[in-house]
Amino acid sequence: MADLDGGMMARAPAGRRTGQGFGRVLVTIYGILAFAALGRSSYELVVKFGEAPVAYTLSTLAAVVYVVATFALAIGTPAWRLTAWITVGIEAVGVLTVGALSLADAEAFGESTVWSGFGQGYGYVPLVLPFVGLWWLWRTSHSRSEERTA
Amino acid sequence: MEAQVTRDPIAATPAPPGSLRDVILALLLLVVALCVVLAGWAGWFVARDRAVILNQLWGGAVVEGVVLVQGVVAIVLGATGAGADDPLLFWGYYATTLVILPIAAAWAFAERTKWSSVVLLVASLTVAFLEWRLWQIWMGA
Repeated sequence: MADLDGGMMARAPAGRRTGQGFGRVLVTIYGILAFAALGRSSYELVVKFGEAPVAYTLSTLAAVVYVVATFALAIGTPAWRLTAWITVGIEAVGVLTVGALSLADAEAFGESTVWSGFGQGYGYVPLVLPFVGLWWLWRTSHSRSEERTA
Repeated sequence: MEAQVTRDPIAATPAPPGSLRDVILALLLLVVALCVVLAGWAGWFVARDRAVILNQLWGGAVVEGVVLVQGVVAIVLGATGAGADDPLLFWGYYATTLVILPIAAAWAFAERTKWSSVVLLVASLTVAFLEWRLWQIWMGA
């Protein structure tokens, strides 16, 4: 067992990827949220789309954004990094906008979505996660140059 | 025979001892307990700044085994007409519960720092939470 650990540790870190270190936990939580959002939206689309088309379309959009963000953060190459910035940014704007609108007018979406009440139905994880994501993207893009010189 | 008793949702709670419904609850509590132990083990590793080890993945495999048994029991109950009120919702959650640990384990094991232990911790607690949701859905909440 110790041998195995040592062997894998020897595979030296090659540049700063968004899916490594703390990023691995971030991707895990993103993945879980992606599953939750995807499950929710598919259920809504199949079973009761007619009840609240706006809310359920929004749920589907949120789910797709979470899935793409999860993959973008997990892969973490420069091209995917841009995708991550965009999708995580959409989430931040989405949760704040939908959260505020749902507070101002509870009936605005007819039915709750992942982002309603600032993600309260999901323990406010949808509110916190995009900002942690943005911070992590910013941090990893900066420390890359620092690590080169070190 | 047991299905007759458990089919009525109002009379659902006082199921006769030894019924499949009791088996469901027992399995559920077992999964939650195992997840808490696994989470505690992972948390201990986080505190000790250690990466996930193979034995912990075997622990995850034990949880998976019990979850699979749950699935079989749920299929049997469903076949006898005593399944969840909303089968689509139930099986959606079940599928998520089933895939989280294997994916998280593979994802964690590729990282050889303490963060892999945090991944396992998060995944175990998520499975425990999903078990609770499964129970709610099963009871028609």
